[in-house]
Amino acid sequence: MAVRQTELRPLGKSVGRKEDPRFIRGKGRYIDDIVLPGMLYMCLVRSPYAHARIKSIDTSEAMQAPGVKLVITGEDLAAMNLAWMPTMANDQQMVLATGKVLYQYQEVAAVIAETREQAVDAAQLVYVDYEPLPVVVDPFKALEPDAPILREDREQKSNLIFHWEAGDKEATEELFRNAPVVVKQDVRFPRVHPSPLEPCGCIADYNTATGKLTWYVTSQAPHAHRTVLSLVSGLPEHQIRVISPDVGGGFGNKVPVYPGYVCAVVASLKLGRPVKWIETRTENTTSTGFARDYHMTAEIAAEEDGRVLALRVKTIADHGAFDAAADPSKFPAGLFSIVTGSYDFKEAFVEVDGVYTNKAPGGVAYRCSFRVTEAAYLIERVMDVLARRVGVDPAELRKRNFIRKEQFPYKSPTGWTYDSGDYEKTLALALEKIGYEELRKEQAEKRARGELMGIGISTFTEVVGAGPSHTFDIMGIKMFDSAQIRVHPTGKVIARLGVRHQGQGHETTFAQIIAQELGLSTDDVIVEEGDTDTAPYGLGTYASRSTPTAGGAAALCARRIREKAKKIAAHLLEVGEEDVVFDGVAFSAKGLASRTVTMKDIAFAAYTNVPEGMEPGLEATYYYDPPNLTFPHGAYIAVVDIDKGTGAVKVRRFLAVDDCGTVINPMIVEGQVHGGLTEGFAIAFMQDIPFDEDGNCLATNWMDYLVPTALDTPKWETDRTVTPSPHHPIGAKGVGESPNVGSPAAFVNAVVDALAPLGVEHIDMPIYPWKVWKILREHGVTE
Amino acid sequence: MRTYQGDFVIDLPRQTVWEFVMDPQRVGPCVPDLLKLDVESETRFHTLVRVGVGPVRGKFNLTVEVAVTEPEESAELSVRGGGMGSRVDMKAKLNLSDTESGGTKLDWRCDAAISGPIASLGGRMIDNEARKITEKLFANLREALSSVSEQVAATSTETAEPESTD
Repeated sequence: MAVRQTELRPLGKSVGRKEDPRFIRGKGRYIDDIVLPGMLYMCLVRSPYAHARIKSIDTSEAMQAPGVKLVITGEDLAAMNLAWMPTMANDQQMVLATGKVLYQYQEVAAVIAETREQAVDAAQLVYVDYEPLPVVVDPFKALEPDAPILREDREQKSNLIFHWEAGDKEATEELFRNAPVVVKQDVRFPRVHPSPLEPCGCIADYNTATGKLTWYVTSQAPHAHRTVLSLVSGLPEHQIRVISPDVGGGFGNKVPVYPGYVCAVVASLKLGRPVKWIETRTENTTSTGFARDYHMTAEIAAEEDGRVLALRVKTIADHGAFDAAADPSKFPAGLFSIVTGSYDFKEAFVEVDGVYTNKAPGGVAYRCSFRVTEAAYLIERVMDVLARRVGVDPAELRKRNFIRKEQFPYKSPTGWTYDSGDYEKTLALALEKIGYEELRKEQAEKRARGELMGIGISTFTEVVGAGPSHTFDIMGIKMFDSAQIRVHPTGKVIARLGVRHQGQGHETTFAQIIAQELGLSTDDVIVEEGDTDTAPYGLGTYASRSTPTAGGAAALCARRIREKAKKIAAHLLEVGEEDVVFDGVAFSAKGLASRTVTMKDIAFAAYTNVPEGMEPGLEATYYYDPPNLTFPHGAYIAVVDIDKGTGAVKVRRFLAVDDCGTVINPMIVEGQVHGGLTEGFAIAFMQDIPFDEDGNCLATNWMDYLVPTALDTPKWETDRTVTPSPHHPIGAKGVGESPNVGSPAAFVNAVVDALAPLGVEHIDMPIYPWKVWKILREHGVTE
Repeated sequence: MRTYQGDFVIDLPRQTVWEFVMDPQRVGPCVPDLLKLDVESETRFHTLVRVGVGPVRGKFNLTVEVAVTEPEESAELSVRGGGMGSRVDMKAKLNLSDTESGGTKLDWRCDAAISGPIASLGGRMIDNEARKITEKLFANLREALSSVSEQVAATSTETAEPESTD
C-alpha cells in the first residue's frame, strides 16, 4: 500500500500521540509497577524538627521488628564515606543526618524490610534523641549578624551562600542618577512545588554475581544520574544501568539526586537484593525539589514617556538548608539575568544573594529554565507599575520598549544573545484577537458602575535549550544532547535519544522530525529513551531543552543517514551521487523524476546491495552541541472579574499567543501550553509552601497545597506566531515552560489592574480570595 | 509555640490538692487516652498515650519531669516525647492558691512546641484537639478529686488563643 505524501512530510501536523494508547489504557509502566523477585522495601525516618542536634539514635528496637533486614543511619554512611553527597550547585548535602538536622522532614535513617508495611511500622521504632536549636526561616533574618549559623560544615561562617552579579553597575547607576522617572517595587515569588502526579522513587538492584547495579528511577536525566552515582559510589559507570521507565510528570522535580535514592542503592549493595523506595505525597511535597522562593526588588529608570533606560534588581534567594538548586555551574542564580525580558534596556544590573535557612533544599527549575520564571514575572510586573506611574496604557508601554525585529540577534545588557523574535507582531495579534480596545471600553463602563474588572498583559521572553557546552554545564558535565538512529532493512527505524520525556510526547515529536528528514512515515519510527545501556549519552529533559537540543540532534543525525542513503541511491539509480536529489519523499535522478527510490528501498539495499567498498548498514549517532540558546516569546492577556463580596477572582478569558519557532506538532504544543497555563494559574491563585516560626512546613499535602482541578481551571485560548530560530537545524525553539513562565504576571497584572482605581499597585502571589477581600475592605469596598 | 492556659477551683484544702497533683500514681491515670503509665521516680514518669489529630493517629511516648518551684504552691512540668514522626515539647506551670471559701484555685499555663506531621497536618485542628484534651484532663482530675472529697465546686477551664500560629 502506498504511503500518502502528507504522511511522509509529517512536520507541522497534529499527528496523534504514539504514547497515548498505553497511557490512556493504563498500560504505562511506572516505578511502582515494577516488582522484582526478592525485592525489599525502604522507608525513611524523617526529622520532626527544623533545626536540632541529634544526641543519639537508637535503632535496636526497629532492627528487632518483623521483617526488618537493615537500618541505616548517618553514622553507617559515614563509615562508607557516603554521609554527604555533592549537590548540583557545588555544595554538599547530608544523605542521612549526622550531628544535626537542618530542616523538617530531613532524612535521618532508612529502614529496609520485607514489605512496605513492615518498613513503615519499623520506622516508628527508630528513637532519635533531639535537642532543639534556634530556627531560622526568614532569609532576611538569616543574613543578620547575630543569626544562628546553620551550616557548621562550611568554612564560611555565615548563612550567605553566594553573591552573584550580572550587568554593568556603574553604567546603570549613572542612568538612574539622571533619569526623569524611577519606579521601585518589591515582588515576592512564593515557594511552590512542582507536585508531579507520580512522586519520586527508585529500585536499586545490585547483582552480586555480575557486580552490575540496575537502578530504576524516576529520572529526567538518566545519564547524568548514572555519572553522579558512579562518581559518588565508586562503581564503574559501565556497571551501572539506569532505567527511567514511564515517568508521571517531572517539571524539574526529578532532576536532582535525593537522599532516598542513595540509601536505596546502599541498601541493595549491602543486602544483595533489590530495594524499592517510593515516596509518599507528603515526602514529595516537603523534602524534594521545591521551586522559586525569591524576594525581589526591581527599579526601572525611564523617560517621562515611559521609554526605559535602566533596570536595577536586588534579590534574596532562599535556598533552604543546602544549596541543591538545579542551575548550570556558571550561573548560581540560574538564568535570572534574563530579567530585562523583551525590552531594550540600555543598561541593567542584577544582584542575587543565595541564603541558607531551615527549610528543605533543592530549588528546581519548575517548568522553567533556571529562574527565568522569577525573572519574567518580575519584569512583567514592574513594567505595569511603570505604565501606571507614567500614565501610559500597559500595551502601549510595551510596544514603545520592545526590542525591534531588526535588532536580532540582540545582545542584552546582562550578556545574553537573543536569536530571533518579533515581539510587536505577537502582541498585535494578541490584542486584536482578544479585542483589547473593546475590553478597555467595557472596563471603563464597569468601573463607572463600581464593578471590578481587570486586564493583564504579559509579553515575556523565554530562554531555553540549555545549552551550548561552551557556557553550560552541570557539575562539570557539559550540556549537549544526542540521538542515535538505526534504520532496519525494511525501512523501520528505532531512534534512541539522550533525553527522557515525562509525558511531553517525545515519542511522537522526535518521530516526526526523523520521519520528515528521512521521507518515512511517523509510524515507521519508534523512539526509545531512558535506558542508559541503549541510549546515547544525553543531559536529559528539563528547562524546555529537549526539542532545542535533542530535536537538533535527531534532525542532524537523520541528515547523516540521508547522506549515506544518497550514496546508496546513486548506486541503485546508477547515476553519480551529485545527480541524486531528495524531494522529502524519495530520491530521484536529476531530470528524471520517474526514476525514484524510496528510503525503504535504500534501507533494504543498505543490508543487501551496497556499492563495492561501502560499509553495510544504515545507522548514525549525533551529539548536538547547540551554538546558542533559543529565545521563544509570547504575549498573554488575562481578563478577570472580581467579586466584591468574596474577593474571588474569576478569570473570564485568557489568551496565550506563543512564538516557539517552527512547530513540529501543533496539538502537542497546544497541550503543553494548556498544561503550563494551568500551572501558572495555580501559582498565581492557589499555591504556596509556608512555614511557621518553628520551621514546621504548613503545606505538606494536597489538602493544604492546592492543585487545580478541571473545575477550577479557566478555559484557555491559544494562538501563535512563528519566528524560527536561525541557528536551530529545523528552527524549533521549545515551548513547554513558556506558559508557566509567562502567565503568572498576566494574572497578577489583571488583578492589580482591576484594583487600580483603589490605588493598589501590587499584590503578592498567591492571590487568595481572602487577600483580595481584605484589600477591598481596607478600601471601604463592600457588597 | 502555642500557649494554652486556664484555672479551676476545687473545694479541698491546698495541701490535699498539692499532694494529689504531685503524685504521679494518682495524676497519671487522669491523662486522657492513657495506655501505659510507668513511674520512674517521684519526679519523673513515662506515659504512653493514644493521640489523634486529623488524619494522624497513633501513640505518643511522653516523659514527664516535675520540678517543685515552691512547695505546696507552684511547680513546673516538662513534657517531652512524641511518636509517628512528630514531637511535642511542653513546659507547664501549676500554681495553687487558697480561695476565700477554704478551697484551692489551680492556675495552669502550658507552652507547647509541636513539630512534625501533627504540626503540619493539624494546623487548623490542633487547637481544638488541644482544648479537648485539656478539658478531658481536668474533667478526669475533677472526678478523681471528687473521690477524695465529694464536694467539688464549680470549675472552669479555658483555652487561650495561641500566641502565634502563622
